[in-house]
Amino acid sequence: METLAQQLINGASLGSVYALIAVGYSLVYSILLFSNFAHGGFLVIGGYICYYALRSLGNNIWIAGGLSLLGAGLSAVLTERIAYKPIRERTNITLYLLIASLGMSIVIENIFVIVAGGRFRALPPVIPTDPVHLFGLTTTSAFDLLSLVVAVIFLAALQLFIVKSKWGLAIRAAAFDLKTAGLMGINVSMLISIVFFVAGMLAAVGGIFLSVRYTLYPQLGAITIKAFVAAVVGGLGSLPGAVIGSLILGLAEMLTAGFISSQLRDLVVFSLLVITLLVKPTGLLGKKPLEKV
Amino acid sequence: MGYLSGIIILLCINAIAAMGVSLLTGFTGVFTLGHAAYMALGAYAAGILTVQHGVHWFLAVMAGGFLSMIVAYLIGIPTLKLMGDYYAIASIGLVESIRLILENWQSVTRGARGYPGIDGFTTLPMALAFFVVMAVAMVNLINSRYGRAFKACRDDYLAASLLGYDTAHYRVLSLAVSGFYCGIAGALLAGFMTFIQPVMFDMTKSTELTSVVVFGGLGSLSGTLLASVVITLVTELFRPISQYRMLIYGGVLVATMVLRPEGIMGSREIWGLFKKTSSLRSKTQRGGVDGAP
Repeated sequence: METLAQQLINGASLGSVYALIAVGYSLVYSILLFSNFAHGGFLVIGGYICYYALRSLGNNIWIAGGLSLLGAGLSAVLTERIAYKPIRERTNITLYLLIASLGMSIVIENIFVIVAGGRFRALPPVIPTDPVHLFGLTTTSAFDLLSLVVAVIFLAALQLFIVKSKWGLAIRAAAFDLKTAGLMGINVSMLISIVFFVAGMLAAVGGIFLSVRYTLYPQLGAITIKAFVAAVVGGLGSLPGAVIGSLILGLAEMLTAGFISSQLRDLVVFSLLVITLLVKPTGLLGKKPLEKV
Repeated sequence: MGYLSGIIILLCINAIAAMGVSLLTGFTGVFTLGHAAYMALGAYAAGILTVQHGVHWFLAVMAGGFLSMIVAYLIGIPTLKLMGDYYAIASIGLVESIRLILENWQSVTRGARGYPGIDGFTTLPMALAFFVVMAVAMVNLINSRYGRAFKACRDDYLAASLLGYDTAHYRVLSLAVSGFYCGIAGALLAGFMTFIQPVMFDMTKSTELTSVVVFGGLGSLSGTLLASVVITLVTELFRPISQYRMLIYGGVLVATMVLRPEGIMGSREIWGLFKKTSSLRSKTQRGGVDGAP
């Protein structure tokens, strides 16, 4: 019983970190209709900025976290300007964007391999990881609770931004139809930059928590594949879907690790993907794509 | 002579695998990130059959090809039924799952340390013979009714389905054939190296295959062959700076997409340059592919 409660909290915590990554991915997908494989790179950039800021500017997580979010957001915008903008202005073939995003993810990963080296780095201990007793029921790590709370705060802020702000309205319009939104006077180029900035920032938050959980290394971005799977399970392009899919994935992973075998947890993730595609390919909350001829 | 013939054998193997990816990505328009998985299946099938069961090498190589083909078909049915990036995401899952299975199924695959003692059955004449036969078969396939259907799925799947083509069926067929080519290439690689390891067939190998096809030109078989010669030779020449290899692959992908998305050859073929009618035809085809002025 205690293990179950513990694994449920761990699963929710891991799932909420996946959710931060998955919503960014889903946000970009909803506007440009392609899977941004460079998304994992933003996470790694955020992690490394946080690491070096903590090492050189003193152990202040607020400054380091702020710099990390800003840096990852700006590099996401830069990636879009360098690699995607020239392509999407010339053609509407999403295959080209997909290939360019794969290229960017390899470039970002290998820049860190060359510059920072491939070894595993532990973040300085600024985020508490002491055990916490929850109402005498179960014991869990303070880090798990903290990452859950922070993820919920950021997701709530994103929801407010999308629903209440003017740019949020523009994003919703563009997700419905990018071209018409452009004709209605929305600055599409600016809008896409904002979307990439937000996605990069959320990925950096996820990156900081993941590098505390698993240590930091250049290939850490590969973990975004689980966020992609979560976004597909929840429904591609749907933000609430991405959150629900991430929670399902985090729980499934942690329950498998706790009760069956930790080697099987990755296989469980991919069988979840295959089951989703077989049973309900649009995901839990995905819309059926309308064909315009 | 030994080194030179080794390079030529490697060239043939890489070219066979690249033709497989070219059929799927270049001619059918389905993006893949996991074709190394099919090479791994072919390699391990050939290795285990020849070493443990004393099967003749030719039968073992064919068995490797067919095993990959069956797995590709089964993966293709749920993921290629839908348009979008589902197969690209599932292919990453596939390559990871196959690696996990190879590493953990100790009793059959001998785990992560690799599978030694395979008979060196891949000789120079045999590799060349396989290459020539498979290249001729591929040219015939591309110019057949099936090849035209594949291209129709790539250029405008909606129009193709309105003309009565079952586009999902053709995409799955294309994937199965491409899995067969990669399986054969993997089996030949096992016979050439005499030692195989799960880590030989990771994401890096998959990325290399995709880069070759993109660099050579999506929709050009001779471009793919040219690119695989260039990339194999460049890899050999620049062995001393191999830590930059992945960075260069990534850069090549992005630069190709941004500057010249049609690759070296576009959708033209080398043999098409000598024939007036066919070069005219390929020009109109190109207009259809990029939609560029």
